[in-house]
Amino acid sequence: MSKKLLTVLDPKGQPSGIFGKVLDLKNPMAILDPEKQPTSTLEAMIGQKMADRLDTLEGKTVYLVETGFAGAADFMKEVEGWFQRNMPSVKTVMRSKRGNMFTDDPELWQEIKEHGDAAIVGVGG
Amino acid sequence: MEDHYNIPTAPIVTARFADYILKDSRSHGMLLRYSFPPHPVGFIPRSHLKDYIKGNDPYTGKPLMQEIIDALTKPLTEEEKNPVVPKRPGHPRLLPPDTEENLHRLFLESGWTDGLPIVLPTEERVAEMLTGTDADPNQVVGRMSIAYYEEKLEYTVEKVAVNAVMAGCRPEHLPVLLAIAATQHPSLPSSTTSFASMLCVNGPIRREIGMNCGLAALSPFNYANSVIGRAWTLMSINFGEARPGDTFMASTGHNLNYNNMTFGENEEDSPFEPFHVEKGFKPEESTVSIFRGWNVLGLGLGNAEEMAKVLRNLPSMAPTGTFVMDPLVARSLIDEGFKTKEELRKFFAEKTGYPPFAINFMVVGGQTNPLWITTDFVYTETESIDKWIPKDGIRKDKKPLRMPEPLVCKDGICTLPG
Repeated sequence: MSKKLLTVLDPKGQPSGIFGKVLDLKNPMAILDPEKQPTSTLEAMIGQKMADRLDTLEGKTVYLVETGFAGAADFMKEVEGWFQRNMPSVKTVMRSKRGNMFTDDPELWQEIKEHGDAAIVGVGG
Repeated sequence: MEDHYNIPTAPIVTARFADYILKDSRSHGMLLRYSFPPHPVGFIPRSHLKDYIKGNDPYTGKPLMQEIIDALTKPLTEEEKNPVVPKRPGHPRLLPPDTEENLHRLFLESGWTDGLPIVLPTEERVAEMLTGTDADPNQVVGRMSIAYYEEKLEYTVEKVAVNAVMAGCRPEHLPVLLAIAATQHPSLPSSTTSFASMLCVNGPIRREIGMNCGLAALSPFNYANSVIGRAWTLMSINFGEARPGDTFMASTGHNLNYNNMTFGENEEDSPFEPFHVEKGFKPEESTVSIFRGWNVLGLGLGNAEEMAKVLRNLPSMAPTGTFVMDPLVARSLIDEGFKTKEELRKFFAEKTGYPPFAINFMVVGGQTNPLWITTDFVYTETESIDKWIPKDGIRKDKKPLRMPEPLVCKDGICTLPG
């Protein structure tokens, strides 16, 4: 091959600062249409805060939310069983996320905020 | 949940995706406290799940349930309270000059190709490719990511031209590629389920750029069909950031990812209206239509009842189906009494329980056998090509590159040349 030097263009796209966002429950099929998919921006994600942690789970209400992925519901039932056997003072509440694994469920998050102390969400995979 | 609802949350993801999800968490501005049971949790005996709960997180080596409890109860660290959201730098337009051999190695080893040899996108070649459209090279065409939640990469007309050169395209193909890019659909979704894609071109451009809509249209005997399908894959890799094991998680992958089942519809031999006309375009407009699914079952023979039976029994994750049928099949369906695709849709919806809008029919093939291909592909979008075509017409080479045309029967009674 020739030892002549060539200049070529970079084939990759450029970072846009635009990110995908969890799908609206009212329009789960937007996953098939990039123009209708909800998005977020780098700027909007700056300054997000994690919730303060609990001192203990003893006597608290923990929601177990299964995401809809295969095996998630059974996994959460095992988590529930573990709490019953090992930390019986923890009240667990099982819930399945509405829609599918890609959709938001603000009603459920509001329920947890009002009636729960923490959430375990899974299983992604 | 953490920020908006102020709920302490312990998210759980299987260990196979630990690296990906931790990176994803960082890029989204939070250091979420994930726990990772072994992979997979689906389609395994319940006793295995019980063992997972009793056991350790294979990623951290710590007891899984204690890790989950800690995720909800250990005070937040300063780093968790004030995460830094990383901003990714852009990259320069030109790569450092190098020899042809080294550049081929760079493209291959960087994961910017499909593994097959490419044409290096030199400035001269890209400039020539850009003569295939009047659009400004700096015009933004869209944004794409194969992983739904990840940062989308933005691409211009010039970036599309770069990938077109790499795929072996000529300027006459560029308007089709720009229309594909404008859909912003990657042909290679990140999903572990190994998606395939399909691309159909309709309208006059099929014939102008020499696409094959007839005999062996889905086989590797046509230049335009080959390079257009390949270019979509290269764009998906380079604009959608497909990196196996990082963003691209298809467990087995799919062989259609190489070319995305690219063809032109055989409008001339079809008794039905062309697909793009169904979607509201005029017959004289040129379009690309995009489909996505998993299953392709090749040898279909029989009437509408049989077609419905096969579709109904095709295992799929979605109640969708697209038939790709030879013109002989389309005409036999007319003979069965179906006058339009709408009538067909109604029949198949009744037989399968699928919604009518989710059932599609494409006509392609050379009429050597009345075969239909059953897929579970869902139709996603049709995009106009015309707006990307130069005002003075498609930019063809003086002698356009064409592979041999399929031999056709000259005397009307055989399949050999007369």
